[in-house]
Amino acid sequence: MTFSLNMTVSDLLLLLPEIFLTCWLCVVLIIDFSLPRLPKERLAYLSVAGLVVTLGCLGWFDLNHISGTLFGNMFVLDRMAIFFKIFILGATILVILASIEYVNRFTLFRGEYYCLVVMAALGMMFMASANDLLSVFVSLEFATLGFYVLVSYLRDDLASNEGGLKFFILGVFAAGLLAYGISLVYGETGKLVFSDMASAQATPGLVIGFLLIFASLGFKIGAVPFHAWIPDTYHGAPTPVTTFLSIAPKAAAFAILLRIFLVALVTFKPLWVSLLVAVSIVSMTYGNIVAIAQRNIKRLLAYSGIAQVGNVLIGLAAGTKMGSDAILFYLLAYLFANIGAFAVVIAVGQAIGRDEIDDYRGLNRRSPFLAFAMLLFLLSLAGVPPLAGFVGKLYIFVAAIKEGLYTLIAVGLINIVISMYYYLIVVKQMYINEPVDPSPIGISGPMRAVIYIGLAGTLVIGIYPQPFTDWVVSATLMFASFIGPSATVIPPGPPLGG
Amino acid sequence: MGEYALLYILFAPFAGALALIFVSNRQPLLVRSIAVSAAFVSLISSLYLFYAYDPVKGGFQFIQKFEWSRQLGISLYLGVDGIGTPLVLASSILLFAGIFVSWHIKDRTKEFYIWLLILAAATIGVFMSLDLFFLYFFYEMSVIPMYLLLGMWGSHTKKYLEMTDPESLKRRDSVGFILNFGSNSKEYAAMKLVLFLSAFAVVALMGILLIYKYAGLDTFDILVLREQANLMNIPVLGTTLDKIIWVLIFFGFASIAPLWPLHSWSPVGHAAAPAATSMLHAGVLMKLGHFSIIRVAFEILPETTRELMPIAAVLCMFSIMYGGFVAFYAKDTKYVIGYSSSSHMGYVFLGMAALNYISLSGAVIYMFAHAMATGMLFAMAGWVYDQTHSRDIPSLGGLSNKMPFISACFIVACMASIGMPGTVNFIAEIMIIVGSWNKYPVQVIVAMLGIVLTLAYLFKMMRGLFYGPMNQKYSHAHDAIATVDRLPLLIMIAISIGFGIFPMHLYDVVRSGVDPLVARITQVVPVAETGEGLGMRGKVTTPERPSVPLAAHKPTSDMPQVPRAGRE
Repeated sequence: MTFSLNMTVSDLLLLLPEIFLTCWLCVVLIIDFSLPRLPKERLAYLSVAGLVVTLGCLGWFDLNHISGTLFGNMFVLDRMAIFFKIFILGATILVILASIEYVNRFTLFRGEYYCLVVMAALGMMFMASANDLLSVFVSLEFATLGFYVLVSYLRDDLASNEGGLKFFILGVFAAGLLAYGISLVYGETGKLVFSDMASAQATPGLVIGFLLIFASLGFKIGAVPFHAWIPDTYHGAPTPVTTFLSIAPKAAAFAILLRIFLVALVTFKPLWVSLLVAVSIVSMTYGNIVAIAQRNIKRLLAYSGIAQVGNVLIGLAAGTKMGSDAILFYLLAYLFANIGAFAVVIAVGQAIGRDEIDDYRGLNRRSPFLAFAMLLFLLSLAGVPPLAGFVGKLYIFVAAIKEGLYTLIAVGLINIVISMYYYLIVVKQMYINEPVDPSPIGISGPMRAVIYIGLAGTLVIGIYPQPFTDWVVSATLMFASFIGPSATVIPPGPPLGG
Repeated sequence: MGEYALLYILFAPFAGALALIFVSNRQPLLVRSIAVSAAFVSLISSLYLFYAYDPVKGGFQFIQKFEWSRQLGISLYLGVDGIGTPLVLASSILLFAGIFVSWHIKDRTKEFYIWLLILAAATIGVFMSLDLFFLYFFYEMSVIPMYLLLGMWGSHTKKYLEMTDPESLKRRDSVGFILNFGSNSKEYAAMKLVLFLSAFAVVALMGILLIYKYAGLDTFDILVLREQANLMNIPVLGTTLDKIIWVLIFFGFASIAPLWPLHSWSPVGHAAAPAATSMLHAGVLMKLGHFSIIRVAFEILPETTRELMPIAAVLCMFSIMYGGFVAFYAKDTKYVIGYSSSSHMGYVFLGMAALNYISLSGAVIYMFAHAMATGMLFAMAGWVYDQTHSRDIPSLGGLSNKMPFISACFIVACMASIGMPGTVNFIAEIMIIVGSWNKYPVQVIVAMLGIVLTLAYLFKMMRGLFYGPMNQKYSHAHDAIATVDRLPLLIMIAISIGFGIFPMHLYDVVRSGVDPLVARITQVVPVAETGEGLGMRGKVTTPERPSVPLAAHKPTSDMPQVPRAGRE
């Protein structure tokens, strides 16, 4: 493979958002060092301003249909990449706004916190554009590097250190698997770019290689059986970091998974459908059942996140253009509901100092707004109309039933009921039980903004999804050439789907 | 108003709920007046709808269609036929009455009305949905408010499972007991209700998704599906697909109806719920089950319905008798009424199972009639509970001295519930019984016995509450004197008796909805194969007149325009 580096300035335009954000990051860092007396909130707003400008730039790209590839197909900017970049930037902005108050808990390096968050976001933007196995590896490790530090940011807190260590060890292990998988795939096919692999033969080495790559991406999205790090890390990490961790890396990893399964491996669909069906069923069921036993809200949301990933995998198992639309749509719905729910957790945790579900007793009396917001976010996660999560679940199920994955859908439907139970347990604490300490809970301005954005997203997507479905459908147009619009080109023959 | 009537009916309560969010609980009068005005708009519009619905034209009227999602083939498609119209009216009457019944709620008034309005609006939405997606959307949406209403404003169901007969031998509702795990808290009742209904709702959703998949039309539009979908004769798992879908749809929706043995969530839910919620729950929420079965299974799978509906005919006997006996032995007022409701819903299933003009019209009218009767009973049980804080029948008694108005209304409500001539329930019951006699004589005899049983437990409860020696503990109880307290009861009594004496329009409206449906079901040739007649593709309203005298194998089914009131 030859890398042609004779690029023009207009080629660099494709990298403009990343370049700009990198420069901005450096500026923020320099300001932090050179003006030590500056209140750290200013840095937060400064970072948000940079992210907003980047977001605007990407929006402009999307409206003008700017796309292309760079560095010999390593880096691709298509509409799906733009979708995921906007998604990641949106999540980052919300997370930074939600952490302004929380940052005061850190004893040291408050300024660097924002830089690390933006750096992780930058890495995930590259993940969204990764179009070959090498850029997958580099961008994935780049994004994770920031998280290793962020998870253990509460230096004096044992749980945070424990979570960080677990995350680090398992993360490095996953990186090793990824590198090994890449080397096997490269050895078997001699190709690194996804779209070149479509004609490969299914040799044992290739299968093992892809299984290893899937395992390492499964680690990122937290699918069973690669989920072991999730509960402890989510529990120990500072809550804003948990928020970030629960949504952005998963989305970025799904961008890679979509490219791998729907572009590189599209000819092997009959082989991988049963793998995805199995992982999806196990993730949903395990996540939901174990979530019932949780006493800590962050752990509950961690397990519910595992189950949600199982739901998203239903769309991937469908393996069609519509399935990929459904995945993007579901992630959008999940973004608002999940960030919103964690924002409430941060706000309550800030007032009470703990994150046990028992602490939510009588939240409706203490802060009707927080309780109502949490109610809607949890119901959206459970998939109750008229909220975004319901439309997302239905979209996924419709995509899957068109492929005849009946068993998978049946399990998914049963899991809706199971998940409703533990979400309602939290609702019960908030609404039905009386508070022990009835003092009202205050909410800071930025936090209120985050919750309002979450509520708006959850309700608008649920009540009027048309613009969003249009967006996701146009974002995944390029898959249509690989897998056909939505109908079955390959006969659906999973052993589990009868 | 005119053609937008459905939008007013559906969105007025939602708008009211939205407006209430911005009002403070410190202004209770403002809160109540917003709730009342929202319900009033809905009520007036549905009265207009009921009388403006043209039974001669028939079919679906007041159509509203807004595209909702192109990719999934979903549109917000609203329209009512002769079956939906009376149920929409019943829902808005009960919502309006329910707001007055809960006038004295002090705790978190605003939230109470928000959830009550959402609950009612969601049920109304089901009755007017012509899109499978939105039918499910509103159906599922009506479940969550129940959780909060029961949990936040409900009362614990203390010892409701304990029942004694005159020799004080212990008896218990074994089905309810097995599925109850012996818990008596309102949280338990609320959780059980939500999980039970959601569990069966996803069963129905599976059926809906299978219809979507195998119709292959990429649409959830019921009218398109019923005319173009060919789901027959696809072999799956040793049987045919249409049977599987039908069973999924039927049992999915029958749980909310509630059909024995899927009923156990219902009486517990009634017992825990505040009065207005019980009214909506028994009055209209339970009818979502029958209605959705009619709308989905009857419309889309007419052939299979004819084949499999005997299942309902068998189970409805158990519903009637089991519910009746438990109601007889129960000691808790709301538990008695709750079980009486689930017993009475058996009549609706009987009427639906017989599948002819008379019985199915009877079933639909019965849903309307039962909504009024049970609404009254629950409203008064709620009043008695508010006054005495007791629902234990043996410990109450002699309340007629203290509350003459309530006890008079209670007698009327009991009469209506029993099906006394002069109330609309009588018309409905006689139609079900006459219509089903040829096909299911055994069930009709059971139903007759059920009426006797109804008489027994309602009189027993009436005696226990209002007559006999008075418990001095409750001497502070007083009657409903204020207008707001009397108004809801008077409205429901007026509707119940009014339609009992002048049932013409109600009957015509219902017949105009039932006739094309029964014609579809009793037709021998499946519609999708012949592609004739009913298959007017593209047109939304198919004005199917009941003019064709088809398959009239029932002696009474040959006079579509003669109102039943003539029989009295």
